[in-house]
Amino acid sequence: MSQLIISVGREFGSGGKVIAEKLAKRFNIPIYDRHLITEIASKTGLTAGEIEKYNETPASRLVSRRVRGFSNSIEDNIAEMQFDFLRKKAESGESFVVLGRCSETKLRDFDGLVSIFVTGDTDSKIKRVMKVYEMPEDDARDFITKKDRKRKRYHNYHVGMHWGDSRLYDLTINSSKLGIDGTVDILESYIRARIK
Amino acid sequence: MAAASIFAVIIFVAMFLLIVLDKIERHIVTLGCGALTLIVVFGICMRSGKAILGTLAVGDFFKKDFWYQVTESESKGINWATIIFIAGMMIMVEGMAKAGFFRWLCMKIAYMVKCRTIPIFITFMIMSAVLSMFIDSITVIMFLAAVTIELAQLLKFNPVPMILSEIFCANLGGSATMCGDPPNIIVGTSLGFSFFDFLTNTGLIAGICLIVSVVFFYFVFRKEIVTENGAEVDMSKFPNPSEAITNKKDFITSSIIFGMAVILLVSHSATHLTVASIGLFIAVITLISAGKDALSLLKKVDYKTVLFFIGLFIVVGGLEETGILEYIAQFIESISHGNVMLMIAIILWISALASAFVDNIPFAATMVPVIQSLASTSGVDISTLAWALSIGTDIGGSATPIGASANVVGTSVAAKNGYPIGWGKYCAKLAPATIIVLAISTAYIFVRYL
Repeated sequence: MSQLIISVGREFGSGGKVIAEKLAKRFNIPIYDRHLITEIASKTGLTAGEIEKYNETPASRLVSRRVRGFSNSIEDNIAEMQFDFLRKKAESGESFVVLGRCSETKLRDFDGLVSIFVTGDTDSKIKRVMKVYEMPEDDARDFITKKDRKRKRYHNYHVGMHWGDSRLYDLTINSSKLGIDGTVDILESYIRARIK
Repeated sequence: MAAASIFAVIIFVAMFLLIVLDKIERHIVTLGCGALTLIVVFGICMRSGKAILGTLAVGDFFKKDFWYQVTESESKGINWATIIFIAGMMIMVEGMAKAGFFRWLCMKIAYMVKCRTIPIFITFMIMSAVLSMFIDSITVIMFLAAVTIELAQLLKFNPVPMILSEIFCANLGGSATMCGDPPNIIVGTSLGFSFFDFLTNTGLIAGICLIVSVVFFYFVFRKEIVTENGAEVDMSKFPNPSEAITNKKDFITSSIIFGMAVILLVSHSATHLTVASIGLFIAVITLISAGKDALSLLKKVDYKTVLFFIGLFIVVGGLEETGILEYIAQFIESISHGNVMLMIAIILWISALASAFVDNIPFAATMVPVIQSLASTSGVDISTLAWALSIGTDIGGSATPIGASANVVGTSVAAKNGYPIGWGKYCAKLAPATIIVLAISTAYIFVRYL
């Protein structure tokens, strides 16, 4: 396998982002997350702040409409631009890690795709969010619920299949069991077995 | 009959909600609801094979009137004339787009006005309206918005005001003719109006409103559409319009076919050829002239829209057969207390308000039998009510970004190129313009027809 695309979907607080970053380092390939925002900002003339506002956000069905693949929703258009960007990167033969953006489905036609979903125990996720964002337990719990609901709506809106459904991914893993580094080790072994 | 009416209303409301929610593709929604209407309303509740056959209206194809019509007649059930005409025009438009016609026209006009922004702004608004009189506004805006952005990047100006004005004028132009906007085709074919009837009624209203709109948008946007530093345009950097033509032979052929379509439509009340005949003829000659590319042209036809229409007409047929739409007509008559002015104002402004938020096609298809019933009970001329309905549904859609297909396509093309247009930015300029145009249209109808 000459091209490697690692798609990492994640629950909020599971450490999925850190895991994706570590995988990118271990395989020495770029990671696309915030970079997608700056790339699109540089190409379109929009500010990163403007794109950030609509990033990974589902459009409201009541105030948006689709006509022959066109949508009036800014959220939809930003999402489409990100999907196009990823598709073009994949078509160019580049190897990379991508965080979220429905990439496990949008890039599923590429042989080099390895799709992973990182989940976690609720208590572990809360502890992690409390530490990273320096917030009390109740706030962390609400924050996780809010973020996951948003990701789920975004994913299901664009893909039409359930976010986190194990049938969508090659591997679903609970990062709470082995910790971040242990999870990365397992994932690295799996990916190396895949690209042999 | 009560059970049939209740089910017909439930199916219709469910269809409308599902279209608005946009979770399931709209052609699947209307076809599914259409099947339910046939089975539950006509089959189980009414046990009426006649209602099923009447709504499917397959027999229309074998009637001479369907293809060649000397006296005007009205249609019920699935409006096959609308469907054939729309499909035929889709095939023609695909042929024109493939040959590079639309891009060439936009570039040529920009070239002719020497790429000065204000003349481009004005000519593109007029071109948008004129093209939309004959071609679906989605295609018109798709090309106009793309060329506008290309010019904006080349000449360094903000394309958003220009795209917004083009969208508005496309919807306005669509209201001018029978084939400009789907509601007009439905109104025209259902009530037996000709292309010329529309042109001399809604066409005149649209013409007046276009002049007002051009002036309005000029004053609203004139400061936003100047080039950076007011720089002189270097025409040598501008791409040659002829580069847009992908194949000269196809370009000439598609231009001739388009010209023929316009002539046939303008003269159809004299030639007695129906829009169904014209649509079929245009489709056939486009496919013949395309030769080996005919199949690829056919594949590009938006068959989902065609299926959407079929399902929609069946659902509306359910309301019609069960007499629900007569109740709505009676309700409008009772709240207007027989006052014709109020009746027209209600039809025009309610149609406009509804079309600003929901698809104007199902709305128009539903309202046609309502105004028919209203005309027969109140004695008001059906044509006056038809013009009010057409203007309301066509122009009302301009008020919001989701009101009409052209709005969605225009704002989407802008957003994909880095110029997002949210509800606030859109409605700030186009909602007032819509209200002004609707007010002028209402006054015009009052003065001319009452």
